[in-house]
Amino acid sequence: MEKYLDVLSALILFSSFVLVANKRIISYIRTFQLQACLIALTAGIMGVDSFLAEGKYDILVVCLIIIILKVYYIPRLLHKTYASVEYKVEKDFFLNIPILIFFCCFLVLFAYFAVPTIGRAAEGNVNIQVINSFSLVLIGFFFMISRKKAIGQIVGFLVIENGIFITAMFSTHGMPFIVDVGVFIDLITAVLIMGIMVTRINDQFETIDINQLKNLRG
Amino acid sequence: MTTFIYIVLQLAVIILLAPLVNGIIKKVKALTQKRRGAPVLQMYFDLYKLLGKSSVVSEVTSWVFSAAPFIVFSSALTAALLVPVTTFVRPLAFPGDIIMLVYIFALGRFFMSLAALDAGGTFGGMGSSREAMISSLIEPSLLVSVFTVGLTFQSTSIDEIMRAMQGVGFPLLRPAFTLTFIAMFIIIIAETSRIPVDDPSTHLELTMVHEAMILEYSGRQLALMEFGAAIKQLVFMTLLVNLFLPHDQFIACPGIGGLALSLAIYVLKIIGLSVLIAAFEASTVKFRFFSIPNLAALSFILSFLGFLQFFVLGR
Repeated sequence: MEKYLDVLSALILFSSFVLVANKRIISYIRTFQLQACLIALTAGIMGVDSFLAEGKYDILVVCLIIIILKVYYIPRLLHKTYASVEYKVEKDFFLNIPILIFFCCFLVLFAYFAVPTIGRAAEGNVNIQVINSFSLVLIGFFFMISRKKAIGQIVGFLVIENGIFITAMFSTHGMPFIVDVGVFIDLITAVLIMGIMVTRINDQFETIDINQLKNLRG
Repeated sequence: MTTFIYIVLQLAVIILLAPLVNGIIKKVKALTQKRRGAPVLQMYFDLYKLLGKSSVVSEVTSWVFSAAPFIVFSSALTAALLVPVTTFVRPLAFPGDIIMLVYIFALGRFFMSLAALDAGGTFGGMGSSREAMISSLIEPSLLVSVFTVGLTFQSTSIDEIMRAMQGVGFPLLRPAFTLTFIAMFIIIIAETSRIPVDDPSTHLELTMVHEAMILEYSGRQLALMEFGAAIKQLVFMTLLVNLFLPHDQFIACPGIGGLALSLAIYVLKIIGLSVLIAAFEASTVKFRFFSIPNLAALSFILSFLGFLQFFVLGR
């Protein structure tokens, strides 16, 4: 099973690179969906494993929640929010894409040096999975600061959340059920609020370009 | 003697199979567009027809123009000798042949670009400048993927690497190889002028790259150029499937039966990869030319991450 998880962690990292390489808002919502599918698959494998070994089914429930929430509901919500925004210029990044990708590669390098210093995480097989998923968190942060449009920032936030969730999954093989559910409720509230915010910002200023915030300076 | 058998077998398989791959890709693409499409064997007919025709050569061209088709074709054939389709016959192997493979292709491409410049047409110059840019972007990632795979098994010989990969079982279950596999897939798309990078079915001057370079050729020379491109594509695909999806370790019976079975599975894998490439081509659109660095950077970083994962895991 560890082998499959290793490969899945590498694929999740790959999907985050594809996300950074995407130019259009529609396509990075779709890539986020792909990433959520991979995470659901990871949770599914762990769930089946823990069900067969200990008879616990709570990770399977978490997997189901991921499929409903992240694969179906949140991408739909983002598509809807994007459809309601009038200002649709697609190019929304500060640096060009190859440079963004190289920066992300440096973040992964940083994770390679940083994670093994976190005590137990450095042991055995867990190492590579935790490194890959921790890089996901960093890439999420970077994605957030490299995009100009508010929807890009929501996707960045969701990638950070994915990263934190998958890091927890890889290092503990299943947290207590109540913690997971709490995280999901937080997440859905955050996305709903951000979606409403984007629509409101758009109504108020006729753009969702965060560069315009500079105008607020005195 | 075994070397002789190997050469005959290798050339026969590659030459016979190469046009079929193009046929399958075109057929699958036609089916996705709800067209019936040309027959799968169309490229054989085309090559047969072209080989029977004489070629027209412009007066202003030098010897490079007439020599280039032979150099392109023979470099593709030489490369075909270096990538064994099956490990049942002992191949022509020597240390460093995987690096040589990369540069044999570079030789063919160099002469193709020169020939395109030679005729003095606008399209030829445009095509070769684009080809030079794409190949210089793709070459680093190709070399890094090759080194990642080579470092893992402490070897730079394709045959040794393939045998070691067979010992692994399912190489795609290792993160380093998964990432390298994806990087190599992107490289194949770029090297064989497939859709996100170049459109093989277009003759629109704004978008063509490979087609622009062979625009001046006709008759036999055109046949050699197209055949060379098809062989190059099959060699890359062979490298991909035989490195990352080895099958010879599962075949128990030795001798002729095992060889036949191995070749049959090889052909099936190539057909599967052709369908995958066609599906990828059908599901995406051609990139703007200046977006190609994004794809190349992605491929480079993936192979580089594979490299890193190898060093961290040490396996």
